[in-house]
Amino acid sequence: METLGFLMEGFAVALTPYNLMFALFGAFVGTLIGCLPGLGPANGVAILIPLAFTLGLPPETAMILLTSVYAGAMYGGRISSILLNIPGDEPAMMTCLDGYPMAKKGRAADALAISAIASFSGGLIGTIGLIMLAPVLAKFALTFGPAEYFALFLLAFATLGGITGKNPMKTVIAATLGIMISTVGIDISTGTQRYTFGVLELYEGIDFILAIVGLFAISELLFFVESRMGRGRDQMNVGKLTLSFKELVGTIPTQLRGGVLGFISGVLPGAGASLGSFISYTLEKQAVGKKGTFGEGDIRGVAAPEAGNNGASSGALVPMLTLGVPGSGTTAVLLAMLISLNITPGPLMFTQNADIVWGVIAALLIGNVLLLVLNIPLVGMFVKLLSVPPMYLLPIVTMVAFVGIYSISHSTFDLYFMVAFGIAGYFLRKLEIPLVPIILGLLLGPEMEKNLGHAMVLSDGDWSILWGSPLAIGLWVVAGLGLVLPYLVGPILRRRMNAAMKESPVSD
Amino acid sequence: MTGFGDRILGLGLLVLAVAYGWVAQQWPEPFGGAESVGPETFPTILAVVLAAGSIYLMIKPDPDAEWPLGKSALELVVSVVVLLVYALLLEPLGFIIATTLAVGTLSWRMGAAPGRAFITGLLSAVVVFVLFNYGLSLSLPAGLLEVN
Repeated sequence: METLGFLMEGFAVALTPYNLMFALFGAFVGTLIGCLPGLGPANGVAILIPLAFTLGLPPETAMILLTSVYAGAMYGGRISSILLNIPGDEPAMMTCLDGYPMAKKGRAADALAISAIASFSGGLIGTIGLIMLAPVLAKFALTFGPAEYFALFLLAFATLGGITGKNPMKTVIAATLGIMISTVGIDISTGTQRYTFGVLELYEGIDFILAIVGLFAISELLFFVESRMGRGRDQMNVGKLTLSFKELVGTIPTQLRGGVLGFISGVLPGAGASLGSFISYTLEKQAVGKKGTFGEGDIRGVAAPEAGNNGASSGALVPMLTLGVPGSGTTAVLLAMLISLNITPGPLMFTQNADIVWGVIAALLIGNVLLLVLNIPLVGMFVKLLSVPPMYLLPIVTMVAFVGIYSISHSTFDLYFMVAFGIAGYFLRKLEIPLVPIILGLLLGPEMEKNLGHAMVLSDGDWSILWGSPLAIGLWVVAGLGLVLPYLVGPILRRRMNAAMKESPVSD
Repeated sequence: MTGFGDRILGLGLLVLAVAYGWVAQQWPEPFGGAESVGPETFPTILAVVLAAGSIYLMIKPDPDAEWPLGKSALELVVSVVVLLVYALLLEPLGFIIATTLAVGTLSWRMGAAPGRAFITGLLSAVVVFVLFNYGLSLSLPAGLLEVN
């Protein structure tokens, strides 16, 4: 019941007209970000961070804005999956399987509507799960000592690549690079200058917002320049809504199953939204069995993965809010926002910044309702925007990134730095070094070092404290599994995902 | 030879790891005597991990990605130069002129007709400038267009 009280207070925060306005704006922009080509959710949220920062928004408003963008991006991803057979982001991949065939049959409007409704129920289930699980986990996390935290950070890195990740060694390398960048600047505990080379701008360390925007936004531009996809695609016709009430009711069990499965895979380290939508889709296919027409435009094939990926996106907030350890790229970017607002994420946030945490959670609920209301009538407009060719869009996005970074510090030095990060990001992506662990390393590096230091002080320099408690050992084991499992299970899972893509007759 | 990219990357990272680790050993002992964890402990661990990772990359590289050659590579270089020049000229020329040039050139190089590209640049520049300076009262440099 305590939780309910907090939630009510959260609603009080989120329902003020000022915050509600930002939630609406965020939901709208988020949907745009999700459906536009070349603007993934992590990328979009990253570009908005400097803006939220320079606008001087109060912390809860800034977080509400970005969480709504996050929720909106998950909604938006489905639009291009259904209409163009091109997923807006990775989790939306499974929606292509039945969404595009439905659109081809002239039922695009129905597919869009059912996916919006399924997204809503997935998001709702996920948020309810978040409300129930997060306080419990936060309480449990209070028992963590520095050694456990150190192991937990390792676990976060080890599982970040996900079970379907390609080469875990590259995740390790990426994370190490990120942490290395975070060591630049004056050491907090001793005052030693590290890797500053006497450059004044480096004394305070490298601003991770700049690194994030550079790595994501600039490298995206360069990728588009290289592939010369500037022309964009043809516009699709949406048609009339013919969805019957009976059909809608028929998909409710599907939505419930998808949402729950999605939430679970969102919470678990290393699973994430892509796996959430994949599992929801395949299990739904098995549950329905021969009666379904999966792959040919079955309405349940649209509902299941959409409920799954929206459930997962709420689930992914659980580890981020309670432990300060994000499980996905976008939640990592949200964590960046929290840190730059001077809020230490983790279990203490639930007691010290309760208004922010619960405000964000309430905003997620409100955001989901807003998104549903926004999405059904406005879908035509989003479809129009989808046909804006990237050759106009990406330069403007890049310009907005420049403006955002410039307005933080009014220094052109930062802009050069951002471009440098962009070029580095391009090369790293080409070499299949994932960028998200770099970001996470940048964010968690200082915390990791601090916890290592504390643990060592507690143990008087005895390194075995790092694996001294059963909990710490457990975390180490899971971290180890996170690195080994992709070698064993990864190829099988990836083959299945590809096979599922190939089975559908239209995935040409 | 396959895996060339990863091998070069591995070599580069190994050099970085050694340099990074070596620099960490040069720092003077912090005031108040050496603790079990000094400023150099964590970087040393990182250097070792990165070195191990880079050696692994060189031994077991992934197949190469396709690298842009010829015209694509040139376009990439052009884009990077545009971004750098944009950063350089932002303050002296002012936001509107610099942005028109940068956004215009980029979208022209990405395939838009030059006229439309630069009009897009100008429009987006004016909209963002007005929005930021008057709507959000964050000042962007006016540069040459400054009226006193």
